[in-house]
Amino acid sequence: MRIDCPYCGERDAQEFVYRGDASLMRPESEDGMADYVYLRDNLAGPMTEHWYHAQGCRTWIAVTRDTTTHAMLGAIFARDGVR
Amino acid sequence: MADLLVEQLSGFGLATIMARKGVSGMAIGMALGVEAPAQPAFCRGENNLALIGTGAGSWFAHTDMVSPAWHTALRDRLAELASVSDQSDGYMLIRLSGEDARTVLQRGAAIDFHPEVFAPGAAATTVIAHIGVVIWRRDDDARGRPKYEIATFRSYFDSFRRWLDHTAAAL
Ligand SMILES: [Zn+2]
Repeated sequence: MRIDCPYCGERDAQEFVYRGDASLMRPESEDGMADYVYLRDNLAGPMTEHWYHAQGCRTWIAVTRDTTTHAMLGAIFARDGVR
Repeated sequence: MADLLVEQLSGFGLATIMARKGVSGMAIGMALGVEAPAQPAFCRGENNLALIGTGAGSWFAHTDMVSPAWHTALRDRLAELASVSDQSDGYMLIRLSGEDARTVLQRGAAIDFHPEVFAPGAAATTVIAHIGVVIWRRDDDARGRPKYEIATFRSYFDSFRRWLDHTAAAL
């Protein structure tokens, strides 16, 4: 799989560290904390995830890809969009 | 007969520049009198100073001929704008030139070195043999052959050199 880093361009996925679902928001209180930490949707289709370009520009990016085909649908700097 | 010249460089200065929050590359370029590229690129300015884009808001500053005050002068000019860290001893630099230099790089890094993509002035931060590298391409030499420079961490240099020697031997 190759990821289109908004700074570096297209790179092999091995250069990146995977974090996971970029849509999760940390809850204000303890309510919902367990779900925030542990509960994950197992999406089949387009999903936005955080990846860290550790072997490149050393920046967090938010990558949208189709989890069933690995088709890349776009990537932005994490700080410009989803957290 | 392979056309490859490998030179281990010395006497250079290298420093990382990281922009403070909200400071643009434009402001950093103005303070240093050389363009601070917004993309991975090698930009050479006056007074033997070059900036190499290594990430959003971060650059390598490079000079071919370092002086004892080089890094502190850089820091002074970027006061309030960026953090400067001298890496002149932290990295080793190798220059690859000649017709076969591109082939050698292409056997190590999973990025495209075709001249239409990686022309003089291009730069990239990536890995070769699992070792982090920053690569930039200088102007071609007098005979029109490409010239690349590669920065690796000093502690990985022997391993990198082993990869390079084995790859060059197979040309
Ligand atoms: Zn990147």
